[in-house]
Amino acid sequence: MAESFIQRYWLMRALYLILCIILILMHLLPLDIQPSNWTGPDLILAITFAWVLRRPDYVPVLLIALVALAMDLLFQRPPGLWAACVVMGAETLRNRAPMLRDLSFAAEWASVASTMVAITLAYRLVLAVLMVDQAPLGLSLMQMLSTLMVYPVVAFLSHTVMGVRKLTPGDLDAMGKRI
Amino acid sequence: MARDRGQGDDYTGPLKRLLLGVVLLCLLGLFLVWRIDSPRVERFRAQVVDRVVPSFDWAMAPVTGAVNILRDFQSYQRMYQQNQELRRELQQMKAWKEAALQLEQENARLLDLNNVQLDPRLTFVTGVVMADSGSPFRQSVLINVGARDGIVDGWAAMDGLGLVGRISGVGRNTARVILLSDTSSRVPVTIQPSGQQALLIGDNSAAPPIDFIEDPDQVRPGDRILTSGDGGVFPAGLLIGQLAEDPGGRMRVRIAADYERLEFLRVLRSYGHENLTDPGQLIAPVLLPDEQAPDAPQAAEAGNG
Repeated sequence: MAESFIQRYWLMRALYLILCIILILMHLLPLDIQPSNWTGPDLILAITFAWVLRRPDYVPVLLIALVALAMDLLFQRPPGLWAACVVMGAETLRNRAPMLRDLSFAAEWASVASTMVAITLAYRLVLAVLMVDQAPLGLSLMQMLSTLMVYPVVAFLSHTVMGVRKLTPGDLDAMGKRI
Repeated sequence: MARDRGQGDDYTGPLKRLLLGVVLLCLLGLFLVWRIDSPRVERFRAQVVDRVVPSFDWAMAPVTGAVNILRDFQSYQRMYQQNQELRRELQQMKAWKEAALQLEQENARLLDLNNVQLDPRLTFVTGVVMADSGSPFRQSVLINVGARDGIVDGWAAMDGLGLVGRISGVGRNTARVILLSDTSSRVPVTIQPSGQQALLIGDNSAAPPIDFIEDPDQVRPGDRILTSGDGGVFPAGLLIGQLAEDPGGRMRVRIAADYERLEFLRVLRSYGHENLTDPGQLIAPVLLPDEQAPDAPQAAEAGNG
C-alpha cells in the first residue's frame, strides 16, 4: 500500500513537470510574433497553486522553484525574481492548506486571489525600486485577473481529470502514514 | 492523529524551512547578480536557451507547422474575397513595377556616373526563426544561427524588406533577436526626405513611436524611416518603415518588415566603422619635385600652424 502510494506521488510530480514543460513549449512556439494588447492566463501559476492547496506533497519547493526559474530564463524575464515570488506565494498557501481543507471553495479562491495580488505587487514593486524596464501595468493586471478567472477551471480539472484531491481523514500522507 | 502529525513536523519542519530559505536566497541572489552584472547572467541565459530550445525542436516544429497549415486552411474559406483583393493589388503593383523599373535604370545610370561601390563587406547570414519570446511582455525571436556561424552581439537582423531587430544574446547554435517593438529597443533613425535625426523607441506595440525629432514641422506621415548609423550599432541606410500619425497626434512607425510572418531572418555582418583618432590637420599641397627641397621647412611650419 505504502509502496504504491510513494510511486503515485512520484508519478504526480512527473505529471506536474510534464504539464509545465508542455505549457512552456506552447508559449515558445513562434506563432504570434505581433505584439498583442491582451494576455492569456498564467496557467502554470494556477496549476501550481491549485495543486499546492490540494496535495502539497505533489509539488515540492524545489520543483516549483525549478519550473519557475526555467520560465524566467526562457521567457526573457529578470531571472529569479518572479520565481522567488511564486515560491513565496506557494509556500504561504502550503501553510494555509490544512486550514483551508475544511472550508469552502470560495475561501480557497479568495486566499489564492490575495496571494496572487500580493506577489504581483511585490514583483512590480521590486522591479520599480531597482529601475528595471517592466511590462505595461495593464498587461500584468490583465494576466493576473485572467489567471484568477481560470483558477476554478484548473482546480476542477485537476480534481476530476488528474485526481489531485484534497486529503481526507483516512488517507495516507507522504510517508505512508495515516493522518 | 493531530499529535502524530505534530511530531512529524518536528523532524521535517526546520529542514523544510531551511530548504525554503536556501531556495529563496538562491533565486533572489541570482536576480541581484543579474541586476549588478547583467551581461554575465545574460550569457548564462543564452547558454541555457541554447541547450534547451533546440532539444525540443522535434516537438515544436511539427506543432508550429500544423497550426500554420490550419490557419492557411481557414484562409481558404475566404478565397473568393482574397482573389478579388489580390487582383486589385496586382493592378496597382503593375503600375509600381513600371515605376520601379524606370527608377532602377535611372539608379544604375547614376551609380555608373558616380562610380559608387556599395560596401562589399556587408554580407549576411540567414537563419530560421525557432521560437519567440514566449511572453506578451517581451518582443524577441530565437534564430538557429549563433556563435558557430560567426554571429556577434549587436548585428542587425532583417527580413527581405526591412529591419527586424538586433542580435542580443548569442549562444553556440542560437541567437536572440530583440525586435524593434520590444520595450528595450532604441534605434537612431533618419527620416527621409527631410533628413531629420530621431530615435525609434519600442513600446510593446505593433507601431513603435518615434521621438526626439529635431524639427517636427519638417516631417509628415508617409516619410521613409531609415537607420542613421549613429552610435555605430547598425549600418546606415537600412529601411525600417514609414512614418504614420496616430489619433493622439504622436508620430509612429509602420514597420516595413512583416512581423506576422517572420520565418527567415538575414543577419547583416557589420564590422563597425573606422574611427578617426587624430584631430584634423592642415593638408599641405603636394609640391613639385624641383621646388620641394627649399620649401619643405615652410610646408612643415604651415602644417604645425
